[in-house]
Amino acid sequence: MKPRDVFSYSFSAIRLRKLRAGLTTLGVVIGIAAIVALLSITQGLQDTITVQLQTGFATDTLIVSPGGGFGLGAEGAMGTAGSGFKLFVNDTQTINEIENVTMSIAIIQKVGYIRFGETVRTATIVGVEFANYTNIYSSTFVAESGDIPLNPENETVVVGKRVSDPWKNGTLFCDVNDSVEIIWPNATARPPRNETYTSHVAAVLKEIGGFGVGGPSDSSVYISLSKAQSFFGTDECDMIIVKLKNDDKATIDSVSEAIKEAFSNEASVMSATAVLNILSSVFSIITLFLGGIAAISLLVAGIGIMNIMIVSLMERTREIGILKALGMKSRTVLLVFLSESVIIGLIGATIGIASGWVLANVVSVAFASFSGGGPFMGNQAAGTSRMTITPVLTPTVFLGALSFGVGVSVIFALYPAWRASKLKPVEALRYE
Amino acid sequence: MILVTTIVEAVNLKKTYMLGKVPVNALQGVNLKVESGDFLAVLGPSGSGKSTLLNLIGALDKPTEGKMLIEGVDISTLNDNQLADLRRRIGFVFQFFNLIPRFTARENIELSMSIADVSRAERRKQAEDLLETVGLKERMNHKPAELSGGEQQRVAIARALANNPRFLLMDEPTGNIDSKTAKDIIGLVKRLNEEKGVTIIMVTHDQRLATQAKRAVQMFDGVITREIVN
Repeated sequence: MKPRDVFSYSFSAIRLRKLRAGLTTLGVVIGIAAIVALLSITQGLQDTITVQLQTGFATDTLIVSPGGGFGLGAEGAMGTAGSGFKLFVNDTQTINEIENVTMSIAIIQKVGYIRFGETVRTATIVGVEFANYTNIYSSTFVAESGDIPLNPENETVVVGKRVSDPWKNGTLFCDVNDSVEIIWPNATARPPRNETYTSHVAAVLKEIGGFGVGGPSDSSVYISLSKAQSFFGTDECDMIIVKLKNDDKATIDSVSEAIKEAFSNEASVMSATAVLNILSSVFSIITLFLGGIAAISLLVAGIGIMNIMIVSLMERTREIGILKALGMKSRTVLLVFLSESVIIGLIGATIGIASGWVLANVVSVAFASFSGGGPFMGNQAAGTSRMTITPVLTPTVFLGALSFGVGVSVIFALYPAWRASKLKPVEALRYE
Repeated sequence: MILVTTIVEAVNLKKTYMLGKVPVNALQGVNLKVESGDFLAVLGPSGSGKSTLLNLIGALDKPTEGKMLIEGVDISTLNDNQLADLRRRIGFVFQFFNLIPRFTARENIELSMSIADVSRAERRKQAEDLLETVGLKERMNHKPAELSGGEQQRVAIARALANNPRFLLMDEPTGNIDSKTAKDIIGLVKRLNEEKGVTIIMVTHDQRLATQAKRAVQMFDGVITREIVN
């Protein structure tokens, strides 16, 4: 029997039992849709985070922070736990002597408040050398209005877009030339007290987006490093940003090693590549986990297919007898049953992929409206830029889902199909 | 002059099968020869072994002992695939028609040809010709449920003829239809035998039907007890 005839025969058998075949197919649809939706959302999330990280984290920079750990937080509370190792502002001199380092800058940051008039908002107060910081983050640390002060002695402040315009509706909290009060709750003083100083907003930054690992963020208030040292009363810095001559892997590795050596292996050195690698492996695990859960639902569908095929086999025993009496080979009977499962798998997988894709988009739209611009991986004190996940359906996921759907259908149909092919014509014909 | 060849030959054919734990000797040494152009009726009450004999002639089953030769080939020596190939050269007509309910008359006939790898165009043409032969061309797009018993049996005969079989093997072909229609069917079968030279082996318990055949054998308790030449 020609393949086309086998398929059309199988198709006619499926069409005869529309409801049953429909429900069986639905099982595959649900399984595949779940897989596709979960995987494309995860992929979208990974892509979004990667892009955001790349925005806020130049690839030719390293971040040196005290103590080990992931240290993604830009909150000020960097991992100083452990050995008690501390980084100081003048440690930049040590780092600057390392080969391939263009420059390094110290950053002191604390969570504090900014007051304008009667309103107080939380903000990350970041002390930086404006000139060098502008140099390193030339694409993100850019003033939208006003001018970034380049004189290190300057006491004016630069605020992120979300500090100036926290509600994203044009109602400004503060603007250039406004007089604001910077407040830092000094918990180490006895008794604890709020340190304050009044300054002017020199510039409002352009919206950056992203998480700003080490780099500028929309929800920070920037003050000069020297002011930060006197205001926070410390020379201890939270991180040192190192700008390299290039972003070659060899350069990144050699400088990382040299820095670690210089600080007796107590400082933690992080590169964008390393963070992306960690993220990528985290996402692989998440993908595997979610995919596994979805795959279980497909296995359930597979058992459904097997069940339905066995019932169908019993109902069609006589038909199989007729086919064999007409000279159909056992192998062809096997193919007839398997191609029924291929058809169910193919239709189910196709509809499943389409509905999974729709589902993923619905979820991402719902997520975007629920998140309402609030922080998702909240590493920023006050409102971050709105994060949207665009689901991504990679060809791998598409083809994988398709073949998985068909594969599961076929595997679970193997046993019923084999049984059908082994039926003895005499007995099958006698079957009532 | 027509060359007469032996198509079916049973030599001391024995078949024992188990009914639960009880062995049943359905055939106990049957010897039979059918030549091309013959029209043989196999008569016998139920339990006489005629259905078992039919299954063996149709290569649906293998004998326990003895030889069942179809065109000189012992079916005991054939594997599953070879048996399937052999069955394509046999035209089966069953008591209960055994048409595929979801297919129309034409599709049922085409199915048998598609199993034998006949091309689509050829199938269609031949199916229509065959339906014309059995007088059902105008009903070719009807499904079995829309056809009377007699019509269904005629479709079944057309299907059996589809792959130019060496012989037609009929199992109580009129057992499930009224006597008037039965007469028509037998008329058709006789005509096929006489005009087209189709070899026919028909199993029946109906003595009157047997008189229409060229010869008949009477079976009882698994052996042929009598041969009648009409």
